[in-house]
Amino acid sequence: MTGTRIRIVWQSLQTVIILAAAAVMLVPIIWIFLAAFKTHVDVYQLKLVFRPTLENFSTVFAQPYDLGQKLFNSTIVAAATVAIAIPVATGAAYAFSRFELRGATAMLVLILATQFVPAVVIVLPFFVMFRDIGLLDTRVGLVLVNLAIVMPFAVWMIKGFIDGIPVDTEEAAMVDGSSRLQVIRNIVLPMAAPGLITSGIFCFIIAWNEFLFALILTNKDAVTLPIGLALFKAEEGDLWNLLSAAGIIIMVPMFVLALVIRRHFVQGMTMGAVR
Amino acid sequence: MAGVRLKNVTKRWGSFVGVDNQSLEIKDREFLVLLGPSGCGKTTTMRMIAGLEEPTEGEIWIGDRMVNDDLPKDRNVAMVFQNYGLYPHMTVFENIAYPLRVRRAAKAEITPRVQAAAAKVELAEFLSRRPRELSGGQRQRVALARAIVRTPLVFLMDEPLSNLDAKLRVSMRAELKHLSHELQITTIYVTHDQIEAMTLADRVGVMEHGRIQQLGTPDQIYNDPENIFVAGFIGSPAMNLLQGNISNGGFVTGGGRPIADASLPDQNAAVMGIRPEDISVTAADDGTTQATVYATENTGESVVVTAQLGQQRLTCKGDRYLKVAINDRIGLSINSEHTYFFDAETGKRIRRG
Ligand SMILES: Nc1ncnc2c1ncn2[C@@H]1O[C@H](COP(=O)(O)OP(=O)(O)OP(=O)(O)O)[C@@H](O)[C@H]1O
Ligand SMILES: [Mg+2]
Repeated sequence: MTGTRIRIVWQSLQTVIILAAAAVMLVPIIWIFLAAFKTHVDVYQLKLVFRPTLENFSTVFAQPYDLGQKLFNSTIVAAATVAIAIPVATGAAYAFSRFELRGATAMLVLILATQFVPAVVIVLPFFVMFRDIGLLDTRVGLVLVNLAIVMPFAVWMIKGFIDGIPVDTEEAAMVDGSSRLQVIRNIVLPMAAPGLITSGIFCFIIAWNEFLFALILTNKDAVTLPIGLALFKAEEGDLWNLLSAAGIIIMVPMFVLALVIRRHFVQGMTMGAVR
Repeated sequence: MAGVRLKNVTKRWGSFVGVDNQSLEIKDREFLVLLGPSGCGKTTTMRMIAGLEEPTEGEIWIGDRMVNDDLPKDRNVAMVFQNYGLYPHMTVFENIAYPLRVRRAAKAEITPRVQAAAAKVELAEFLSRRPRELSGGQRQRVALARAIVRTPLVFLMDEPLSNLDAKLRVSMRAELKHLSHELQITTIYVTHDQIEAMTLADRVGVMEHGRIQQLGTPDQIYNDPENIFVAGFIGSPAMNLLQGNISNGGFVTGGGRPIADASLPDQNAAVMGIRPEDISVTAADDGTTQATVYATENTGESVVVTAQLGQQRLTCKGDRYLKVAINDRIGLSINSEHTYFFDAETGKRIRRG
């Protein structure tokens, strides 16, 4: 009797704690959601009941803010980064995983070590370099920078997925009559697909949210969404309602991608290959 | 159809020798079993024939072609891997069809051949499943079906039954034997299960330390071992190997009177081999020698008695009605017609006349 009661109390307590923790994390997001639909006047009041407006969204897409162009830049830059990073990283990861390369460990550590250099340290050299070769304020330039940021991460992550594919499976395919390229196309890629999709989405998110380099290396044509947010500072203070609307435009694709990741994080893709 | 020849094949990793200067000729349509303890180089030999491992030295021939420089795909062998190596993202049908597809077999030909192969291993009803939805034995049979769906020059089977339960193993063994008879393709089969080796093989190669110690029919391997290793490795319970010496046409151990005839020249350090089933347990006063019971094991079908004879122990197989207890005095009657003598130093068999 008492045992059951204690359990019920404990379970309710757990639920309360979880809800509280979720609330703490969600409050800013809820606040942004509300603010995005409020007028400039309402924004500073913690009113939950107000007359919602879509005006903020049309304002941010109009001049002078022109968020549409930034959205376009962000999309192109992030998509191009992923489209280049994943195939190249897959090739590198396969080689690291399957071939005996001289100095493979050292190379892998070096690749990772690039991530330890603080971005602030290298952003200026990048600026000078890009200025000299005319890549300042271009989407191509941003794609290159983002590639440098995501590649190490992508190589390591995809290598992990390829390591998980039993070598026996590949050897079986070779004895069955496949060339190395056929093995990669028919066996490795399909088996690593969930991993490739997951890595691709992570890279997309990193490129989408990249702030520092975009801030320094762009000023007009290639400005991306995170930088665009900085536009909403006026002399009368931060334009929170516009800032929130833009914030939602940045967040929504991330929500969608997070959902996709969840679906693709299926386990047991390699189950059944070997005993 | 093709035989396989290894000419002085050696595989080394650094200074470690996996396969040691091995020469071997497998005839066309022969079923050869490689048998040996773990780590003796069976899988390595097999992988070199398949082209998955490069020999450090020596030549490998399939049919009349030296295949050292051929890729696995160009050797036209089919292999059943020790751990299956199935394609988890494909259905059973696609798994079995893969060797045909990748070799660009005619589309119309694929389905009937896959179905025929699946039927041979009784998998016909599982064709649309994926490997993870199958039991271990069923996965094993997918691997087999994938090998037999085409007609390769050689089958390589690496412990293909090792993961099955005892009962399934026996029925699959029969299935394999039937298949090999029906398909008539040269087969190299690796196992460390002796019964599998004895029942399936045309010839057995007993391996140790990367080298074949004896190559012969199952009958020769069991009844006419060339050396101490083969004698002790084949048979369960293992053959008794007693240290002693040969003098005046008898084998003497522990300084007592001879326990068996040995019509051989005198030899100081000799080993006598006798199988447990060739020793019978008698009353204490009968038999050729006397001993004490060290342990008894009832296997149901027989009683295995371990007897202490001086410093050495001997196992003998008595019938299932034998009743002896530990520390009982018993007599042992050794059948001198079934003894084997070996040189204790070289391990080589000492043959009569
Ligand atoms: N890639 C490798 N590098 C170094 N040594 C290896 C390698 N592969 C195998 N060996 C060694 O070679 C020896 C033979 O291995 P192999 O796999 O052929 O044994 P096996 O007879 O198949 O044994 P089992 O019955 O356990 O499968 C072993 O001692 C093993 O440790
Ligand atoms: Mg092995």
